[in-house]
Amino acid sequence: MNVLLEATGLSKRYGEQKAVDAVSFTLDAFTATALIGPNGAGKTTTLSMLAGLVTQTEGSISFEGSADQEIRSHIGFLPQYPKFFPWLSAIEFTEMAAKLSGLGAREARAEAQKTLEFVGLGKALNKRTGTFSGGMKQRLGLAQAIVHKPKLLLLDEPVSALDPVGRRQIMNLLKELQHQTTILYSTHILNDAEEMTDQLLFMQHGKLIEQGSLNEFRQRYAEPKIRIEFEGAEETQRFEQASPWKVELAGAIGWIDLTGKQVSMSDVLALLSSGRYGVRKVEKQSASLEEIFMKVVQ
Amino acid sequence: MKGFSVLLHKEWREQVRNFKLLWIPLVFIIFGIIEPVTNHFLPQIMKSVGNMPDGMDFPWPEFAPKEILVSLMGQYQSIGLLIIVLAFMGAISSERKNGTATLLYVRPISYASYFLSKWTMINILVLASVWVGFLAGWYYTAQLFGSIPAADVFAFLAAYSLWIIFVVSIVLALSAWLPTGGVAALGLFLTLIMAILDSVIGAYWTVTPWKISTYASYILMGSMDYPTFWKAAGLTVFLIILLVLFGSYMSGRNAAKTTV
Repeated sequence: MNVLLEATGLSKRYGEQKAVDAVSFTLDAFTATALIGPNGAGKTTTLSMLAGLVTQTEGSISFEGSADQEIRSHIGFLPQYPKFFPWLSAIEFTEMAAKLSGLGAREARAEAQKTLEFVGLGKALNKRTGTFSGGMKQRLGLAQAIVHKPKLLLLDEPVSALDPVGRRQIMNLLKELQHQTTILYSTHILNDAEEMTDQLLFMQHGKLIEQGSLNEFRQRYAEPKIRIEFEGAEETQRFEQASPWKVELAGAIGWIDLTGKQVSMSDVLALLSSGRYGVRKVEKQSASLEEIFMKVVQ
Repeated sequence: MKGFSVLLHKEWREQVRNFKLLWIPLVFIIFGIIEPVTNHFLPQIMKSVGNMPDGMDFPWPEFAPKEILVSLMGQYQSIGLLIIVLAFMGAISSERKNGTATLLYVRPISYASYFLSKWTMINILVLASVWVGFLAGWYYTAQLFGSIPAADVFAFLAAYSLWIIFVVSIVLALSAWLPTGGVAALGLFLTLIMAILDSVIGAYWTVTPWKISTYASYILMGSMDYPTFWKAAGLTVFLIILLVLFGSYMSGRNAAKTTV
């Protein structure tokens, strides 16, 4: 895969306080990366440095192999709470954004219209942004970020301010954009990150504490379990007595912790069938991103 | 100057849709009309509402037409400057604070374009307002007091415009540098208060931008010592250039302070 962006040793200091501390990572082209961390972890500052809003105190950003590129020509940026000039209409704002990113007048108009229709604002083209709801503003924010077809899309908490319906709609739009461009987005809504990510970057106290794919994290942090749903609690107890592995019980459900043990699903199935247990369901459960997150930040 | 024309268009729309294009010229026009009209009708007004003792005759001074325009300039030097500072003190600082600048700063624009687009549009608006205000005042002065040669009026307006551009440059450079509250305080000090201080204790120096409005009135009255004026005008132009450079630099430097 081609590396689109490489951040090396990025740091930002405000007086004595280090908001971001020697963060290094790469973004491969056409991948989605989630920047995860608790509030105050340095996610927004990191995105602001990449967007050219904040100059790093130390470190470098290389875009397509060059550190000298005007990165602002190639990015689309969506802040957490995008603010628009209330006296401009949606089409006027998006068109202006396209022109400022280098599109010609005619192309900017056409792309603005097409993009607004893509984000579901086709019927509000000429409406002043001052009258927009939170969800509409987020859509418009996304439209201005993608109107010029940027190589890198930087999104700061793109859905955290939205209600569940709005969140779902924006996530669906982002999933459509995934693999058309490179996306780096910060979030603390872990379900969203689980849904759309090729790479995870965990930040805490300004530092990048872990990075890798979701599968890698699962392998590293997960405590996989086999969950068995029996027909009754007596069956669970009978199984526990016969089992060579430790079984956690909760009524008709039993869990076998697989961490560090050489237990395979076939071993468990063999035992279940030999004992003729009344079983409704057997499944292997992997850790959720939330569980992984809690382990990483602890 | 990347993005200048697009940003200038945005500024134009802002002035139109915030109605500044309407109310600022209107205020200057109203002052332009009120000054000659009140001066002309003041004796009658005082007679009918002044509650003066019977038989008392107050000798009202006879104003020359040019004195009316100078008096109008006095109004613009106080209320006019106040309007300019208050209307435009947040031109850059407010955009930064409310976060609307963020989506501009992440585009490949130059901060000189950003600053100059505002500087150009605000100067156009304010100069047009001042000019139409004076032209309205000139018209009513001509009707009520007598005519003033056009050449004198336009020479006066040209000189006074230099002072207005200086004031706009101060306000915008401060707006690029400071938060809005600071712009208001320092902006009012550097324009209104300094102009007053200069008129009170400024007899010792002649080459200063704060004398330009006084020199404009001398030009109108035909009593200007031009070598001194050109020196003051040259210094003012130089300071305007410095303010524009400073404002452009501060716009970029403070971009990181925009609300994300």
